[in-house]
Amino acid sequence: MQGTKAIAVHEITRKFGTATAVDRISFEVDRGEFFGFLGPNGAGKTTLIRMLTTLLVPTGGKAVVAGFDVAEDPSEVRKHIGVVPQAMTSDLDLTGRENMDIYGRFYGIRARQRKERVERLLEMVGLAQRADDLVATYSGGMRRRLEIARVLVHRPELLFLDEPTIGLDPQSRRVVWDLLRKLTEGGSITIFLTTHYMEEAETLCGRVAIIDAGRIIAMGSPAELKAGIPGNDIITLRVGGLTGEIVQSIKKLPFVHNVGMEDESIRVSADNGAENLPGLIDAVRASGGTILSASVHEQSLEDVFIHYTGKSIREEEARKINFLVGAGIPRGFGR
Amino acid sequence: MTRLLAVIERDLKKFKRNPVVLAMSILMPMIYLVILGNSFQGKLTGLPLAVVNQDGGPQADRVMEYLRAVQAGPRTFSVAVLSDQRAAVDGVRSGRYKAALIIPPDFSRRVAVSGRPDIGLFLDNTDSISSDTIRNLVDAALSSIKSEYVPIREPADEPLLRDINLYGKVDYYQSLVPGVVIMAIFLGTLTTGAFNLVMDRFLGIEESYLLTPLSKGHIVGGLIISGLSITTMNAALILTMSMLITGIPLSRGIDNFFPVLFVVVFTTLCLLSLMFAILGRISHPRIVGVLSGFLNVILFFPSGAVYPVASFPGWLKSFARVNPEAYAVDALKSLLFKNAGMAAVSGDVAFLALFTAAMMALSILTFKRTL
Ligand SMILES: Nc1ncnc2c1ncn2[C@@H]1O[C@H](COP(=O)(O)OP(=O)(O)OP(=O)(O)O)[C@@H](O)[C@H]1O
Ligand SMILES: [Mg+2]
Repeated sequence: MQGTKAIAVHEITRKFGTATAVDRISFEVDRGEFFGFLGPNGAGKTTLIRMLTTLLVPTGGKAVVAGFDVAEDPSEVRKHIGVVPQAMTSDLDLTGRENMDIYGRFYGIRARQRKERVERLLEMVGLAQRADDLVATYSGGMRRRLEIARVLVHRPELLFLDEPTIGLDPQSRRVVWDLLRKLTEGGSITIFLTTHYMEEAETLCGRVAIIDAGRIIAMGSPAELKAGIPGNDIITLRVGGLTGEIVQSIKKLPFVHNVGMEDESIRVSADNGAENLPGLIDAVRASGGTILSASVHEQSLEDVFIHYTGKSIREEEARKINFLVGAGIPRGFGR
Repeated sequence: MTRLLAVIERDLKKFKRNPVVLAMSILMPMIYLVILGNSFQGKLTGLPLAVVNQDGGPQADRVMEYLRAVQAGPRTFSVAVLSDQRAAVDGVRSGRYKAALIIPPDFSRRVAVSGRPDIGLFLDNTDSISSDTIRNLVDAALSSIKSEYVPIREPADEPLLRDINLYGKVDYYQSLVPGVVIMAIFLGTLTTGAFNLVMDRFLGIEESYLLTPLSKGHIVGGLIISGLSITTMNAALILTMSMLITGIPLSRGIDNFFPVLFVVVFTTLCLLSLMFAILGRISHPRIVGVLSGFLNVILFFPSGAVYPVASFPGWLKSFARVNPEAYAVDALKSLLFKNAGMAAVSGDVAFLALFTAAMMALSILTFKRTL
């Protein structure tokens, strides 16, 4: 065992041809931590997870996972981790129970123990009733829950989840979140999760790294990250007759830190939003604008992302993912 | 071991959930037997031949008689008697007849005078197999009359050709059985084994087991073993059924049960590992589709299943020497038709085993455990 960290990564890099998907990333995750990587589509999350889970060979740097070097000792790493890839990977023409049982056998778990665990896990993810139906008849949310249950059959000490709630409706997403929270209660399992939902990172993760274009741009607990940017609230105003003058006058207010403009609305990061909202509205009116609507919300990780990159995480969310096939469709012929 | 068994069981279970594939992989080779048997027949029959008899003399009648005898006996021709020479030749051009035979008005007289009659034969020579057959038969018809008027003494030292069949009579349909079994094995190995890996890769499911402690050997070996069990069972069923259909005594298969099983198992292993070596890195099923037709043709036709290897040109013979299907066909023919035992096919089996070992090694070497 090298060190006591669950994951220790030093300047890991992956290039595809001339493009760099992951660019000299370094970080460490302690045992028992719930660690998240937050980033938009194409940021390099999947590439990073694949390197940490031995599916992709890094083109540079070093990563030690569960005490073993991913490049030198991949088979040892695989024994200690469980991975839920981004794409749906359960077998459609096997039943839920068969999927889990076979997976357990891949890890060499004995029949009795396997049967016990499979029952308990199916119960836990609420699939006991449907366990003997073919996975082809499952909904996307059920399939995802099955895959999370499946990866727990061999009791991994370290769990990797790549965008576990992508494509799920808000309700199924909450079910998955509850499941993951339950897992970490004992503190014996380390979870590494990637997501592009800031809410997911915020509610689940003890520590978050924000990644964009292959690089970490900020890292810390959600509270630390939010405290690290100026202001604490975001006020969104829709203004009729919006002009540059109005924006200028707002910027001069002492409690305002930053003003962004999109079409008719302005996004103001400010101290104590609720308290200062009337002052802000007055300033707009004084410069000749009319207020169509106003809202105040606490700063979120989304705002942290916007602060550092100048763009929204969701901007690139347009990519469609075929639910049946998942996102794992190969990009080209052969290899 | 448990891990290997788990890979096998996963594959077999998935196969079982697809009964249509199972039914088709049994049915299709049987249809092959029927189609192949009727399209590459040993002897041609029913070739439409137009005859215009402008002579009407006794010699012309003899020719006609001979043709009618052929029509009634081996049925190589179906003869249409026409009166118009133009109509007959046009009929050949338009494809209605394979050939037109024109017997000129002075035919009988010239036979009587010179023994060198002229006769016109218009052949549709775009179809060389049928035109050769017709030419030979017309030649035979003419020499049948010649021999009567121009007696040729048979040289005393000319050997008399008499067929001696070394083995029990094997008709054309029966001779196709080994080919059909090999075809069934080929189809089986194409839709199991490596193909399932390509499918998993295409669907992104491969990722889930690459993440487990399974080794390359578990994955490649497991898929090959499950493909082997499905394909050998299939092949045994098809062998039995086609023996029943074509009337090869089942006792041949029973007497040689183990040698036959040996040949089937090693042929299957051989093709499965060949597929793995070729498809091990392929990630799109469409490539398998394109390759399958090609592989089938280049392995099956030069295997001697339909035409004998001995009649191939040299370069093709050399190819047959490394073509596993050729060894498989040879071994099955020996066992089914010559009733030879294990000793007679051990050379074939040895080649198949060596080929398998080489391809397996190549497969495991080239198979990647990363994406
Ligand atoms: N096999 C590959 N070949 C070439 N480029 C690749 C390959 N895999 C990933 N990339 C590129 O690397 C970059 C990072 O991709 P990656 O899949 O890691 O992003 P991601 O953060 O997981 O995105 P998403 O949220 O959409 O899943 C992208 O620009 C992508 O096009
Ligand atoms: Mg991804």
